[in-house]
Amino acid sequence: METMDQAYFNKLAKQLMFELSDAEIADLQAEFVILQKQIALLEAIDTDGVTEMIYPFAQETTFLREDQVDHVIAREDALSNASAVLAGHIHVPKVVK
Amino acid sequence: MELTTCKNQDVRKRVYEAIEKAKRLQPILNAVVSFAQDIEEQLAHLEQIDTSAPLYGIPVVLKDNVNTKGLLTSASSRILSNYIPVYDACIVEKLKAAGAIIIAKSSMDELGMGGTNLSAYTGPVHNPYDTSRISGGSSGGSAVLTAADVTPLAIGTDTGDSVRKPAAYNGVVGMKPTYGRISRYGIIPYASSLDHVGYFTTSVADAALALHVLAGRDDRDMTSSTKEVPAYEQLLNSDIKGKRIAIIDNVQKAIKDESIRTGFDQLMMRLKQRGAIVESITLNEQLLAVILPTYYIIANAEATANHSNLDGIRFGVREDGNSVEDVMSHSRTAGFSANIRKRFVVGSYSLFVENQDKLFRKAQKVRRLLVEELARVLDQYDITIASAAGSIAPHPQDSVDEQLSDTYLIAENHMILGNFSGYPSISVPCGFVEGMPVGVNLMAKPFAEQTLFDIALAIEEESGLRGQVAEVTK
Repeated sequence: METMDQAYFNKLAKQLMFELSDAEIADLQAEFVILQKQIALLEAIDTDGVTEMIYPFAQETTFLREDQVDHVIAREDALSNASAVLAGHIHVPKVVK
Repeated sequence: MELTTCKNQDVRKRVYEAIEKAKRLQPILNAVVSFAQDIEEQLAHLEQIDTSAPLYGIPVVLKDNVNTKGLLTSASSRILSNYIPVYDACIVEKLKAAGAIIIAKSSMDELGMGGTNLSAYTGPVHNPYDTSRISGGSSGGSAVLTAADVTPLAIGTDTGDSVRKPAAYNGVVGMKPTYGRISRYGIIPYASSLDHVGYFTTSVADAALALHVLAGRDDRDMTSSTKEVPAYEQLLNSDIKGKRIAIIDNVQKAIKDESIRTGFDQLMMRLKQRGAIVESITLNEQLLAVILPTYYIIANAEATANHSNLDGIRFGVREDGNSVEDVMSHSRTAGFSANIRKRFVVGSYSLFVENQDKLFRKAQKVRRLLVEELARVLDQYDITIASAAGSIAPHPQDSVDEQLSDTYLIAENHMILGNFSGYPSISVPCGFVEGMPVGVNLMAKPFAEQTLFDIALAIEEESGLRGQVAEVTK
């Protein structure tokens, strides 16, 4: 089992593209103690031969839509919520410097 | 106020009165995130709508995770606090086609991830019956604005009882129809396999009419159903003679508040007197005890994936950084509250390859067992029924959010069965305890909404709470 120390949660947070404060990590460590107890309750349930339930109903879509362009948004709309726009594109810091 | 009462007033007058009331109550309830700025345009659009349209000129409120073209849609999160959608959600199109006037967007728990409405970026929402108590969540703003008689219809969403619990806390009807009955196109998601559109009204008849307006296939939501939409409101029938009603005994036994239990028992007696066959059943207690962790694992895992696009680049609040990665990381750190970031950690943890079988897939298997347990009962009965909450709306310091807890009881989580299964479920007011409203919750087989409405109507007739609203006093 993983060592759930500060470094472990910092690694998890980095993968999720955010940071956690020391206090938030302490809260998470406490929460994971409870999570492990709850996992034990889950493990105690016999699920042999049970298939995962991914969605409530198997709602199959059995049609092909017409091959027509539909629900297109204008470039102006697509850019309207971006904080930085330059020359008709979303602007971000340089990747290659 | 009911839809029928509202319809008797002049359109312009009722729309502006609703806005004025919402503004007057805002310092007390804090239920609104933003007000629509295009009321005159919407009123002008009514000229193209038949005056007999079901919601002609009716003021309506939307939860702030419903995309509205040109109107702030923040999902009560800082990261979306500047997001102006460029398109309308399917239900917005349907509401407007039915003549509704969208007057405001309502507060919610951040990204829908909570059950108290204490986590909204704009601050807590207050219960109109006692402003020192919570509204419940995550659709707290919509519940409160309906209960405070601002609008007769308000839209919410329900991923883990987020319409039905606040409905009970605020003394209004809260409806979550079958998964797929209402299109989710244009709704900011939380957990896609559990998310439903729901809504609040002050009467069962209005709830039936609202579903007639909102339901139906939408090709932009592949999970939406092709089943025909009945005219529920025209088919309403409160004759429940011979209807088979199963009381979920585990829930009632888990409730500590004697007044809630007694009121429930008295209501069941009255349903029996109306000719219903009311019997107690017991669900597998071991399974009920893991509803919350099963939900927590599935919901957070799906949320982690759904919200990976919130990075401040294409939309949302952007924080500075020296690289794209820095911008994303800084935006997500500042944009999400600590509670949301912790939930994403739990979700990501359960999706790790080494944990998938033990956690995520295990939870999905247990979900199936729980749904089979509910289906087993509904093979024998028309509906299940139980108290919608184990207590009246608590004070903030006494409230327990959707988080892991050793003490969070069956009584507070059973309605999640409606999300696991996708079965329709409704909460209906049934009385008051210590001056605060309490409600009951009903669940039925998939697409048996009419059965739910019929029995809910009988309950409403017994309680006498049709059209019940709160007089707000600080």
